[in-house]
Amino acid sequence: MAKSSTNDTRRPTERVALITGASRGLGYTLAEFLARQRWTLILTARHEGRLLEAVKRLQATGASITAVPGDVTQEQHRRDLVAAVRRIRRLDLLINNASELGASPFPALVEYPLEALRRVHEVNVVAPLALVHECLPNLKASRGLVVNITSDAARGGYPGWGGYGSSKAALELVSKTLANELRDAGVGVVAVDPGDLRTQMHQDAFPGQDISDRPLPEVTLPFWAWLEGQDPMRVTGQRFEAQGTVWEVPA
Amino acid sequence: MKRQELAFEQPKELFASTPVEMEHGLRDAVRLLVTRPSGHRHAAFSDLPTFLSTGDLLVANESATLAASLEAHGPSGTYTLDLSTRYAEGLWLAEPRWDPAHPGPMPIEAGEEARVGDATLRYVAPYPGIPRLWFITADRPLEPILERAGAPIHYGYVPKVWPMEAYQSLFSRVPGSAEMPSAARPITPKIREALEAAGIQFASVLLHSGVSSLEIEAETVEQQAVYPEPFEVSQATADLINRTHESGHRVIAIGTTVVRALESAWTPDGVRPRQGFTRLFVHPGNPVRSVDGLLTGFHDPVTSHLAMLAALIGLPRVMEAYREAIANGYRWHEFGDSHLILRN
Repeated sequence: MAKSSTNDTRRPTERVALITGASRGLGYTLAEFLARQRWTLILTARHEGRLLEAVKRLQATGASITAVPGDVTQEQHRRDLVAAVRRIRRLDLLINNASELGASPFPALVEYPLEALRRVHEVNVVAPLALVHECLPNLKASRGLVVNITSDAARGGYPGWGGYGSSKAALELVSKTLANELRDAGVGVVAVDPGDLRTQMHQDAFPGQDISDRPLPEVTLPFWAWLEGQDPMRVTGQRFEAQGTVWEVPA
Repeated sequence: MKRQELAFEQPKELFASTPVEMEHGLRDAVRLLVTRPSGHRHAAFSDLPTFLSTGDLLVANESATLAASLEAHGPSGTYTLDLSTRYAEGLWLAEPRWDPAHPGPMPIEAGEEARVGDATLRYVAPYPGIPRLWFITADRPLEPILERAGAPIHYGYVPKVWPMEAYQSLFSRVPGSAEMPSAARPITPKIREALEAAGIQFASVLLHSGVSSLEIEAETVEQQAVYPEPFEVSQATADLINRTHESGHRVIAIGTTVVRALESAWTPDGVRPRQGFTRLFVHPGNPVRSVDGLLTGFHDPVTSHLAMLAALIGLPRVMEAYREAIANGYRWHEFGDSHLILRN
């Protein structure tokens, strides 16, 4: 475990976040919001060219950014990510944002190709948990927060959405259970449903449809600003809707 | 609802610019328009107890006003920075303005820096859908700077900055509002005693009011982006409200902030204790269930506050009351006259 004796006296400008799926969409928007607040960022995405381009834009903010392109389901890639965390010796925020939609067009569960289903669960459930395993010492040291990005598909039972939806339902239970298991260690875990957004991922879910009525990912910024101000221990175990009416702190 | 439905001609000479106590010595020396199903009555604020009944409950906002207006120095020169809402340590939503009378929009760019007191601020991102508001990050807590160098937020119709005291009410307890929750301003200790003597109960909630909303710009009211505000409804207040409703008495909000807080805590079983940030926009598509009445001031045309009034008693009745108020010279804004709106 990296020694992190200075963590309590560090200024907010030295906070560190690891964001998966950060080259575009919600992940990029979040990275930009934190970079402009001078968080130190470790970013990953599968598409190397796109990630490096994103990082180049983000570096204009003056923030310190490490890009580690790769696939979060690969153990070696996760080792590289954790090595980056260990070098910085701090992690306040882990955002498991990278997600896999699954077979397209969405097949019914009775016809779902099982290989595709395994891949969906590998990316959306196993990889986020694996990153928690591997980042835990640093998260404990900074009493950090894990944010798992979920979806209303986790609760909907919408025909065609069973593969993706079941993985997000599993991720929500993983979040809730981890929250209870990690409370004593001072690490918070929340699930956040960002709501419908005008992103490539949403377009892929509705191929050929006009999604221009959906808001851009920036619409979620007020929620992230709010979450930044919450004590992880007050909100741990909760599921939030970033576009919901009330962001509630449990009594 | 189309935005135009909330429009009306507002004579500028009806803007109040001076706290009434500066002229008449007492805060309750304002007028009271009472709007009920039976019609409109003209009264003095001190008549308030006669329009309420034993067992009715008045709910006040405990939020105290901050000296939230700061002088900033940046690439555009020296300008006004009004803080609206605190999100996290050193992370605020704020409104940069050329000066109190000139709202901008200023030519701010993301990443731009400004000096405020001994702090350096950076503009992070505009508020989605409300580009005149920005998230800003500061390299140190801003609260001490507000205490040292802040002034109450004031606009062009208030040419003079009044002492902070003019922006607090009898109920102000927890600092956090950018602008005064002003509906309670005329309630003096004497009025409160008279209300209590008449068997009227009091409860409180917390809602930190942000900078005032400008005109609704979206074509329909429901599309307008509204920003969230921190709120808290306690168990004791929720219990008192539910008991008041069960016993057939009325719950009356002191101010639109209280309606927003209580509606945000409403469930089919009544009001429950709740705290967090609320984005709830109370408009006619979102009927009011937690309160039976509202004590408030007079609001500008095409604003979200008017939409809330319409949600409470219907738009025709609101417009009728406003015609009545204008014809009789009632005064607008935080130092103006009062309006008691009762649904039954």
